[in-house]
Amino acid sequence: MGNEAIARGALEAGVNVASGYPGTPSSEIIESLAIVAKARNLYVEWSTNEKVALEVAAAASFAGLRSLCAMKQNGVNVASDFLLHLASSGTRGGIVLVTCEDPGALSSVNEGDSRYFARMLEIPLLEPANFQEAKDLTRWAFELSEEIRNIVVLRSVTRMSHASGNVICGKLPVKFRKAHFVYDGSIMDPLRGPVISTPVVAKHTLQQEKLKRATAIFENSPFNTYSGPKKPELLLITSSACFLYSREAIGMLELQKRVGILKLCCTWPLPPKLLKKHLNSAGKIMIVEEVLPFLEENVKTLAAGMAGEIGIKKFYGKMDGTLPSVGELNPDIVAAALAKIVKVKYKTLSTAYTKELRKAAALIPARELTFCPGCPHRASFWSIHNAIALDGREGFVCGDIGCYAMGALFPATGYHTTPTLHSMGSGTGLASGFAKLAAFGFDKPILTVCGDSTFYHAVIPALINAQHNRADITFIVLDNSGTAMTGFQPHPGLTVSAMGEAVPSVDIAGICKAIGANVAISDPFDLEGTCKILNSFLADKGSLNVLIMRQICALSPEKKGKKIFDVQVNEALCLGESCGCNRLCTRIFRCPALTWDRSKKKAVVDEVICAGCGVCYSICPQKAIIRTEAKKK
Amino acid sequence: MKVRLSKDPMNVIITGVGGQGNVLASRVLAGMLVNSGYYVTIGETFGMSQRGGSVMSHLRISQKSIRSPQMPQGGADIIIALEPVEALRVLTKYGNPDVAVLSNSRVVYPIGVITGELNYPSLTEIQDILQKTTAKNWLIDATGEAVKLGNPVLSNIIMVGALSATGLLPIDRRSFEKEIARNMTADKRPINLLAFDTGAGLI
Amino acid sequence: MVSKAAKPSSQEILKKNVLNADLCTGCGACVNLCPYQVIYHDRTVQLHRCDLDDGKCRAFCPRWEIDLDLLRSSLCDSADLTTEIGAVKGYYLSRAADPKLREIAQHGGTVTALMELALTEGLIDSAVVSAGNQQREQSGFKAKDKTSLRENAGSKFVVSPTVAAFNQIAAENSGNIGVVATPCQALALAKMRLKPLQDDAGHIDKLKIVIGLFCGWTVSQEKFQALLLLNNIDPATITGMDIPAGKTALVIKTGSGEKIISFDHVESCIREACRYCLDSTAEFADVSVGSARFGNEWEEMRGWNQMIVRTARGSQLVDLALHRGILEVRKAPNGILKELKEAAAEKKRTALKNIIRKSGSAKNLLYLESSDPFVNKFLEKIKR
Ligand SMILES: Cc1cc2nc3c(=O)[nH]c(=O)nc-3n(C[C@H](O)[C@H](O)[C@H](O)COP(=O)(O)OP(=O)(O)OC[C@H]3O[C@@H](n4cnc5c(N)ncnc54)[C@H](O)[C@@H]3O)c2cc1C
Ligand code: SF4
Ligand code: SF4
Repeated sequence: MGNEAIARGALEAGVNVASGYPGTPSSEIIESLAIVAKARNLYVEWSTNEKVALEVAAAASFAGLRSLCAMKQNGVNVASDFLLHLASSGTRGGIVLVTCEDPGALSSVNEGDSRYFARMLEIPLLEPANFQEAKDLTRWAFELSEEIRNIVVLRSVTRMSHASGNVICGKLPVKFRKAHFVYDGSIMDPLRGPVISTPVVAKHTLQQEKLKRATAIFENSPFNTYSGPKKPELLLITSSACFLYSREAIGMLELQKRVGILKLCCTWPLPPKLLKKHLNSAGKIMIVEEVLPFLEENVKTLAAGMAGEIGIKKFYGKMDGTLPSVGELNPDIVAAALAKIVKVKYKTLSTAYTKELRKAAALIPARELTFCPGCPHRASFWSIHNAIALDGREGFVCGDIGCYAMGALFPATGYHTTPTLHSMGSGTGLASGFAKLAAFGFDKPILTVCGDSTFYHAVIPALINAQHNRADITFIVLDNSGTAMTGFQPHPGLTVSAMGEAVPSVDIAGICKAIGANVAISDPFDLEGTCKILNSFLADKGSLNVLIMRQICALSPEKKGKKIFDVQVNEALCLGESCGCNRLCTRIFRCPALTWDRSKKKAVVDEVICAGCGVCYSICPQKAIIRTEAKKK
Repeated sequence: MKVRLSKDPMNVIITGVGGQGNVLASRVLAGMLVNSGYYVTIGETFGMSQRGGSVMSHLRISQKSIRSPQMPQGGADIIIALEPVEALRVLTKYGNPDVAVLSNSRVVYPIGVITGELNYPSLTEIQDILQKTTAKNWLIDATGEAVKLGNPVLSNIIMVGALSATGLLPIDRRSFEKEIARNMTADKRPINLLAFDTGAGLI
Repeated sequence: MVSKAAKPSSQEILKKNVLNADLCTGCGACVNLCPYQVIYHDRTVQLHRCDLDDGKCRAFCPRWEIDLDLLRSSLCDSADLTTEIGAVKGYYLSRAADPKLREIAQHGGTVTALMELALTEGLIDSAVVSAGNQQREQSGFKAKDKTSLRENAGSKFVVSPTVAAFNQIAAENSGNIGVVATPCQALALAKMRLKPLQDDAGHIDKLKIVIGLFCGWTVSQEKFQALLLLNNIDPATITGMDIPAGKTALVIKTGSGEKIISFDHVESCIREACRYCLDSTAEFADVSVGSARFGNEWEEMRGWNQMIVRTARGSQLVDLALHRGILEVRKAPNGILKELKEAAAEKKRTALKNIIRKSGSAKNLLYLESSDPFVNKFLEKIKR
């Protein structure tokens, strides 16, 4: 897997410290390193958020160690404030910031392109274009960082991080570094002075010199490669997974003899001489990249500067609409664009066959994402919905990032409670703001949810804000004891670290109480009890109320495959579609395991899918859903 | 044991519903092939889509090089589906007249079907489509067999076993044994081997 | 299973025409029949969306499609009918013979005495009355014996979702049931008696007796609680409330003496739906009971009830009570029936005016048929 290759590259480079915050598609990097932490003498941690993670990694660099910090694209935004200052103070031991991005937002609520940070903050950017490079380039990134004494950004994408391919491993170092932090030298001494971004102008000059050194190195980097004819009819300039799509597309159209590919791994700053050489070779150039036209802008800027020498080129890419400017690319999209430019047709399926496929497509039901069977969030949202409905003032929930974001992404899944969803922790900030609009005639009760991991990540400042500014919100922690969405990485609420060591847990209830909130804890599977607490919170004016809904995630290792209850439907009691029920369970509750037998007109539990939480037992008005304690396996 | 592939690359899609063990199946299959010396590129998506959504892994098997983790449309040679409607979904995008489809017959209803907003095609409709749009197809009750073995999760390995028996790919019981010896704890191996054999027996 | 024809669902009908139109009486007739409709703090809440267009929620609501003519002809003797106070088979001033009961009852204790009799005679197995919590929020209560009946004697001027409790008890494996009901609740129960829906016929057959209460209005719990707070009254300490004859004030009896709140304040707490209610004597009960307050004779009369016997079932029970000496009756003073009728007619006129103001037309009487002959008589009077 691409992420494993990146981790391997770091190991081969002799990384000492690795930190990160979980986020798809980046999580496996830190996870893989954590597994070998003891064997390879590493320190690996899941930090509370990306900014802290980067600070932890930077400290190691200042002490002359090699460190890696991994996050998903939006994490870079979180870390960026520190990153700005770090880039200008410079670093010592090799430090690499790995950002794994998600074009097409396959598992994100944005498709941010953080390559622009490299340009904005003036630091080098590397992008591997296959799995071997994911490893090799990571290793090289450490060397580059140490060479120029600044942080290097390595950017991957879902189709690289979560794709797998053959990789030939290199040797692991046998020597381990010792940490030394020297700061008694002159302020301008990058290796012996204090590490600080001032005097700003002088340090900025130094930083730009470092970038120039990187550019010079990039000119001869073996990672930037060209394949194709000497004078291609069309030159593709590409990076990352788009290189693989481009190569596939050229193969599909059999254009190997007509189209060339310049694959760049060093994408900021672009090496001008290398580019000049290739731009000179072709009249038509297409830039293939994801998501924004970053490479395209930079290539065009260079080309404009060299226009006198290389002449005027015809560019294709995102800016002229040849390629879509949003979403992820794939070989077909690239092939279609190629075919248009070089005027070839690529073989399509017979119309008779596509007609059959189209007929089939009409019969296929869409498969909407939903909470897993047995997921505590379904029960939590059920109670939240009921409490809001009973309260009757049209209250609503400000959503947040985690599995429970599905409550906002698919309105019926959250029982139509959650109209907003932004970045981690924003739910609480938004709620705090909404709650202050009463003076403008907006007096709906405001709720917000966050997961346990999100709580530590970015919620605490917003919660303090709510308390201090008297924003009467009902704040709900959906505590499922883990970072479920990304695969159960530990977080500060747990007693075990990324490396499996015992660590103190930081108590959410205690923090909330210290802030001055009313705190209650409930089991979301107790629908009635949870709803009661929520209603008393909604009715209460003048305080910040916190409800911690605690129930372990259905997929968590300790729960998975272990049913609490065996659940069945008593068909004789089930009312089904008639008045008195009208399929509350299957029409409204929406658990994937509780299905509807259309011929019998009765609900049925699919035993294979059912997780045995038994919550549907509580909602059936007929008590037709029977649950019996499951035998322990 | 490196057999020449009938086509290079050989494009395989493993599809199913989040939580069915799609990822494990693609890892095991890829592992078996890598052990025999092929280049295998897997393109996977996980994270949010695993929450009851459709999931899909692209496996590109080649003797020459790694490939794009996404295969071209209409480019699948083999589709392995842990859920029948997912077989169709993949077929409509990646199908072609030469494709072979091996699908589990056990249905996992999408939420929209459970709520009544959408319809799920009947098994005969599914068979009819497969008949008309594939070169070869098998519909087997892998989940049913897995339940008999005591754990529905085994249906993915049953599918891998069945795939080996179709002879579409250069994999066999030995390569499976070798792969699980590498990647599974000893206590799990016998039941998985049994699942593999059960699958092979279904073809 | 594609969506059915775009007929509005029962739930939508209720929401649009009753709940959002402020006509909901909080009777609870639509509650406990399904998981979609619930009562919360005397508000009827639709929890989730239901798309059935022939639901029970709509079928029993006393504020939706009421055919009074049909109810009268099915449930009453036409010979007994009056325009102002419905069917009158017998009219008495009555009180419970047991002085202990009179002490705790609202007025004469007639209601509690009749229910006690029905229970002890085995006519019913449980009686649905109204019970309150500390906040004086009411809910229907299933009384199975004398003690629990007496514990819940006395009038609570807050809405009680009594019919919801009836729905629940009737659905259980219960025996026969009696209900103490306000006029709107009695109307809902009468609607049920017509058995508009086949599968509930069995439930409604368990209903053996409805004792109606006279009713001018009820207050909304939330608003009333705020009013009590404003007057420094702890709801938990209230032992009783009444409206003395001729006074325009509510007397609140608490552990620490009486407090008087003027009607001007109480007025704002009255449930909006009550302003559109034409019935002050529970015309569709088996027996209706009210106070016997008449101008100057209040002190003497407060321990008595007016009682209207309306149906054969009602007379049987009352006759038995008289025969057993459980009820005492006395001769009604001159003119009091006339006074009652006048008061009842006044409520009908006011309500009709309010209905017309809301609907904007005398042809649209919201939940009532404008062609109903009895209603028409009052309509003509308003026009004049
Ligand atoms: C809201 C309301 C308004 C009224 N308005 C008038 C009026 O304008 N004119 C008039 O003459 N009489 C009115 N009455 C009736 C009067 O207050 C007495 O209930 C009646 O005279 C019977 O007296 P009793 O001594 O026989 O009652 P009791 O023997 O004390 O029995 C009263 C019974 O009524 C039940 N009950 C109390 N409150 C409610 C409620 N909110 N909903 C349903 N059941 C309840 C109790 O549980 C008990 O079973 C009203 C009653 C209520 C509840
Ligand atoms: S909620 Fe109960 S009665 Fe209603 S369809 Fe489901 S199992 Fe049947
Ligand atoms: S009046 Fe009664 S039946 Fe009608 S909506 Fe209100 S509570 Fe329901």
